[in-house]
Amino acid sequence: MSAPTLRIADLGLGFRTWAGPVEVLHGISLHINKGERVALVGESGSGKSVTARIVLGLLQELRSARISGTVEFEGRDLDRLSARERHALRGTRMSMIFQDPTSSLNPVYRIAPQFHEVLKRADPAISEAAARDRAAALLSAVAIPEPERALDSYSFQLSGGMNQRVMIAMALANEPALLIADEPGTALDVTVQAQTLALMRDMVEEHHTSVLFISHNLGVVREFADRVYVIYKGRIVEHATAEGLFADPRHPYTRALLSAVPRITGGGIPEIEDVSEDYYQPLVVHEGCGEPEGVA
Amino acid sequence: MTGLLSLRNVSKVFTLGQREIRAVDDVSFDVEEGECLAIVGESGSGKSTIANMILGIYPPSMGTIAWRGDVLPARRELRHRRAIQLVQQNPLSSLNPRRSVGASLRLPLDVHGIGDRSHRADRVGRLLEEVGLPAEFMNRSPAALSGGQRQRVAIARALASESDLVVLDEPTSALDVLVQARVLKLLAELRDKRGLTYVFITHDLSVVRNIADRVAVFEKGCLRELGTTEAIFANPQHAYTRRLIAAVPVVTDAEVALRKRLMENDNAAA
Repeated sequence: MSAPTLRIADLGLGFRTWAGPVEVLHGISLHINKGERVALVGESGSGKSVTARIVLGLLQELRSARISGTVEFEGRDLDRLSARERHALRGTRMSMIFQDPTSSLNPVYRIAPQFHEVLKRADPAISEAAARDRAAALLSAVAIPEPERALDSYSFQLSGGMNQRVMIAMALANEPALLIADEPGTALDVTVQAQTLALMRDMVEEHHTSVLFISHNLGVVREFADRVYVIYKGRIVEHATAEGLFADPRHPYTRALLSAVPRITGGGIPEIEDVSEDYYQPLVVHEGCGEPEGVA
Repeated sequence: MTGLLSLRNVSKVFTLGQREIRAVDDVSFDVEEGECLAIVGESGSGKSTIANMILGIYPPSMGTIAWRGDVLPARRELRHRRAIQLVQQNPLSSLNPRRSVGASLRLPLDVHGIGDRSHRADRVGRLLEEVGLPAEFMNRSPAALSGGQRQRVAIARALASESDLVVLDEPTSALDVLVQARVLKLLAELRDKRGLTYVFITHDLSVVRNIADRVAVFEKGCLRELGTTEAIFANPQHAYTRRLIAAVPVVTDAEVALRKRLMENDNAAA
């Protein structure tokens, strides 16, 4: 069996601060197989986004961060790679879509030169004209009408939904093996969010891209993911297939999270504790969802 | 019948250079005393423009807004400003970071001359307790509070002036789902206790379903549909309403079934 696209084993993270060390992740393990869409769900401050930043190799460069455990990307241990090798992976083999598309594009450049930069990551010799053609093709693949006009626009001239499509096109431009999507729909309207998610699903299915989908919105996760990890205060508390999780949530925290979502069928707002000892109960793994044994 | 607040043929036109943008187009509706009226729509539908006109931040270009039967002047009087208050989406940017929570809450008391000067500090403490925070929080700065706690302070501030109508502009969209549930619960309790009227602006229809009495659906500045929450969700008349409901990400099979049923109606009608 080939190595999973991403395997994280017993990952711990702490920060040294002026007030002493702060532990953020307490040994989390997760994996993503090729072509799989895996969601990491939790509230703000649970450690979702730092996990993504470690996978990208960004936090390793921060001097105050203490990282333990292993992160393997396509069978290679990220710890053994040099900073330069990690840099070479970003934007080519792995890429990321952020929450707010408008602030992740540079407002002083038009879209075309920014797209050129992205394509140069994989092919440093690509000419401006060739990059433009390829960018136009990629933009029309994400259903942007008049891609030429979008290429000549600044990010602030496009709507939020358009910008997010540009980000999706950029993130998938170099055919990455892993796409990390950090709350990609949160800053968008519901209707635009639904369109964006459907588009993202089509795109990753077509390219067999693995996705780490980070979200606090369980509804969105249900529509998008194959498998779900629920994270609470730096610990994974439940691991299940998306179907299994929504049909049969077993951890108290997952149950609370699920019941707190207002339903469009009504039923009022339930009484839920936002802090409870029960949420610290140990990990619940559903049948058939274990972590692969370490073979590094 | 006249409600607490009535909008009659209200339009708002913004002029941008040569272009005119009609942000709100001939809208009429009433807000009844004690109800929670949700205003839903996508961005650009005119929701926030309506909120700003209700608050008197700018007057309507055409039409009138009446408060308890009297037409509101373009320049609001103090009593109008006291009666109509706002809770914004992001409490971090709506609370002054240089001012302690207590000072933020005291300001409306001073402006509107509520209570004796010597008792205002106690009043601030009671306001904090009313929204479920300890009274000692008055000495803290907004930076020392979590998102949910800050939003509670923003709610307390809107209530400090003993307001009658509170405009809630996406009050929970910046919050986690567990915190959101608790803040919504608090809003419902306060409404019962104080007899408040809410205008609840949001694009999250699942929240609307569980807190609003009536729903007004806006698209491109026009009022598409206004009805009781039950009617809107059981049998939405307008295709745009059905599209909005169908786009809500849901977590249970019952909800999927509801969405499917609404969309089938739409396809059958088309």
